[in-house]
Amino acid sequence: MANTDPVKVGVLYSQTGATSAIESSQRLGTLLAIEEINESGGIDGREVEAVQYDPASDSNQFRNYAERLVAVDNVNVIFGCYMSSTRKAVMPVVERYNRILFYATLYEGFEFSNNIIYTGAAPNQNSVQLADFMMSTFGGRVYLVGSDYIYPYESNRIMSDLVTQRPGGSVVAQRYVPLDAGPRDFDAIVADIRDLQPDFIFSTVVGNATQHLYRAYAEAGLNPKKMPIASLTTSEVEVAQMGAQAAAGHFTAAPYFASIDTPENLRVLDRFRARFGDNVRPNACWEAAYFQVHMFANAMRAAGTDLTPVLMPQLLGAEFLAPQGRVRIEPTNHHTHLYPRIGRVNSKGDFAIVRASNNAVAPDPYLVTHSLGDWTLALEALQD
Amino acid sequence: MVKSKTMLRSGMRVVREAPLILRDLRSLRVCVFHPRDQDGQGLTRQLERIGCQVQAFWPPLPELPEGVDVVFMALSPDMLDADFAWCQVEDGPPVIAVIAYENPTLIEAVLRVGAIATVASPVRSFGLLSVLVLARDLHGTIRKQKKRIAQLELKLQGVRQIAEAQDILSVQHGISKEEAYHVIREQAMQKRVTAEEIARSIINANEILSLKKVKG
Repeated sequence: MANTDPVKVGVLYSQTGATSAIESSQRLGTLLAIEEINESGGIDGREVEAVQYDPASDSNQFRNYAERLVAVDNVNVIFGCYMSSTRKAVMPVVERYNRILFYATLYEGFEFSNNIIYTGAAPNQNSVQLADFMMSTFGGRVYLVGSDYIYPYESNRIMSDLVTQRPGGSVVAQRYVPLDAGPRDFDAIVADIRDLQPDFIFSTVVGNATQHLYRAYAEAGLNPKKMPIASLTTSEVEVAQMGAQAAAGHFTAAPYFASIDTPENLRVLDRFRARFGDNVRPNACWEAAYFQVHMFANAMRAAGTDLTPVLMPQLLGAEFLAPQGRVRIEPTNHHTHLYPRIGRVNSKGDFAIVRASNNAVAPDPYLVTHSLGDWTLALEALQD
Repeated sequence: MVKSKTMLRSGMRVVREAPLILRDLRSLRVCVFHPRDQDGQGLTRQLERIGCQVQAFWPPLPELPEGVDVVFMALSPDMLDADFAWCQVEDGPPVIAVIAYENPTLIEAVLRVGAIATVASPVRSFGLLSVLVLARDLHGTIRKQKKRIAQLELKLQGVRQIAEAQDILSVQHGISKEEAYHVIREQAMQKRVTAEEIARSIINANEILSLKKVKG
């Protein structure tokens, strides 16, 4: 007799705390994919059921809820985590119980776990491209500003490495603010930026604090045409939080922007808006959160079970036509082949894509020394 | 999660270039001696993910392949008495032992192969990169210090010999020790050799002369 029990999956995205806005978008991307799977008959007739908790952007709660998902709810697969600190908290749990975590966020690399699938960008899929674009367009003197935790430290190390490879390139300053920074935390930094006049600012400020940096910049009357902010973490969600006026003219590198003009993306966006409205803005982390659930469902159909030893081989090497393009999970490192893009915020608060890669770039999470140049042929100028 | 700071940290972190020992990971030649089981595969694959050039062998080779920078060596209870010539070489590459047991017998074997770090079996991906970098750094430091110690020993010996030569000269010629030192320095300059060599000649000559005196 066929098994008709629901397939329970864990969903751990914060709805409160410092990174609630971006994680909420990941949660809805996840739920959209689950609904799509269920509407088309589930996984071999079994409905997918999300078991959700709100870990409140706190790594201890992430660990506790992950334990609970495994021990009490008995799920084999967890979708979730945004900040590296929360992934590090969940990793020992999935490793100990041999479950799988799907992680849909860009991060700083240098990790591999037999029990994690990484669908966000590694630094070789966004930092290198952003550095090259910004330096060739605006110059090599960069001002680094970030939230005070491990991702900004490592991203800034990579950015520093890249700018110093270029003649005349230098880091003019490096500043950190608390994760829960408020509007006034950026006053001194913006004044410093005005004094030092870098060619561009590299922001690794994350979460709800992001809006305050861009607003402080706009209030100080600085000009994005001359000295823009470049980021890997300022997505459509943060742009919506700060407003189009503060965001316009600044740059972000990501494998996905909601403005991608492909039939696959437009279809997903239509379904998402019809179901969840316009309040939550689709973005790169949302897209990865969305497509990884479909990749899980496809793998489970092939495996016939969601038990790790059988499911994992079906995930490794799997491909999926995602909104960003055809992605593939690299079997040797569990990260994903993705399409680097560079977007510039326009006056409506959308990202106009100014550079895009024709081909997926293979993930290389353990690359210490990134070099400019070898990827440039892959990025095509769409407009200037 | 890193605890939020209430104060703005201004310039507390300095931008540093990645040290050479991290930058050269991709050109690192790593030799793995490990049975070809799941654990051995896990070790080899993580080293490949890091980007090292990996050669794996089992059983261990009697001699290391040319140009190996690091050796990973599985030590199991059935090979406690195995003896590998390359472990004893003075300036061989650093050895990292992979161990599944932690009893004194096995740890003795770890010491005997000259390992400077261990990796616990079953091998986890996490931790391998740090062990690799630290073992190489430590090995480099030890090597540098050995060289420095040898240089210092030589220098110290030289200082003793000069002092002895000064004594001999001042007794035999009735000059001060300071004057004796100038004589040694002048001789060294004229003959274009080090002061230590002149001092040794003086000591040797003195020994020979004293011998004659005893005999005579």
